Amino acid sequence: MEANVAHVERILAVFFGIVVFFVAVIALRNDWKSRGIENQVFKIMLGLLALGAILGILAAFGMLIGKGVA
Amino acid sequence: MAVASVTHPGFAGHAEEPDQLYVETRELRIQGFLLFMVSDLVLFSSFIFAYLYLRNSGQGWPAGGPKLDIALAAINSIVLFGSGATMHFALENWKHGSFTKFANWIVMTIILGAGFLSGQVMEYIHIGARWDSGIFGASFYTLTGMHGLHVFGGIIYLTVLLLQAAQGKYTFTKYTGLTLGTLYWHFVDVIWVVLFSIFYLL
Repeated sequence: MEANVAHVERILAVFFGIVVFFVAVIALRNDWKSRGIENQVFKIMLGLLALGAILGILAAFGMLIGKGVA
Repeated sequence: MAVASVTHPGFAGHAEEPDQLYVETRELRIQGFLLFMVSDLVLFSSFIFAYLYLRNSGQGWPAGGPKLDIALAAINSIVLFGSGATMHFALENWKHGSFTKFANWIVMTIILGAGFLSGQVMEYIHIGARWDSGIFGASFYTLTGMHGLHVFGGIIYLTVLLLQAAQGKYTFTKYTGLTLGTLYWHFVDVIWVVLFSIFYLL
């Protein structure tokens, strides 16, 4: 039962991770030419959001798992 | 768009230009908020480096390492990152003059933030380590707890922003508060990228 739940969680994480990654990249592309200090910070944060989505996807695939993870 | 233009008081501001005082102080308010975020970043950095130091020193670290649930952490992280995307949509819709869409996206952000906190509670239940059970427990609960408090504070912050926006406190040309709320929510997301990496991926 727990294995099934974990499997569903992984599938959902991969699916929504891909969605979040593309949303972050598209938002970053749209904001690329924006000016102003807040937009510069937004760009950095959107980039890190995309990175986080990639990490989440890789972790869900089991490709990036730390020593202390079950 | 049509709904917003009829019902929301902010639409009245769509035609008028921001006054000089607003233009002059806007950048300063944003810079002040960024300074607050930097101070918060220093706080998190202190605890993160303390965690990494303790972990690598090896003394008192649990034999074989603690057992964390990667599947739960992955979906929970994506939920929080997704909330960053919905918050971005909320601000973009406000910029384009749609209060209804802004409200929908910010409510979605609040729901996802609450979902993330629920996932954290589940992790706390299943982790098998306590706050006072050793240096792993102390570091894990301190960092994730501090982050969870920031998320909880962010949920309240966004709720207040939504209520203020509904009352017409912001117009479609004067919305610095909403920009700051979005910055704060992205900050909470980005901190989790680091925490997720050091706890689950290293």
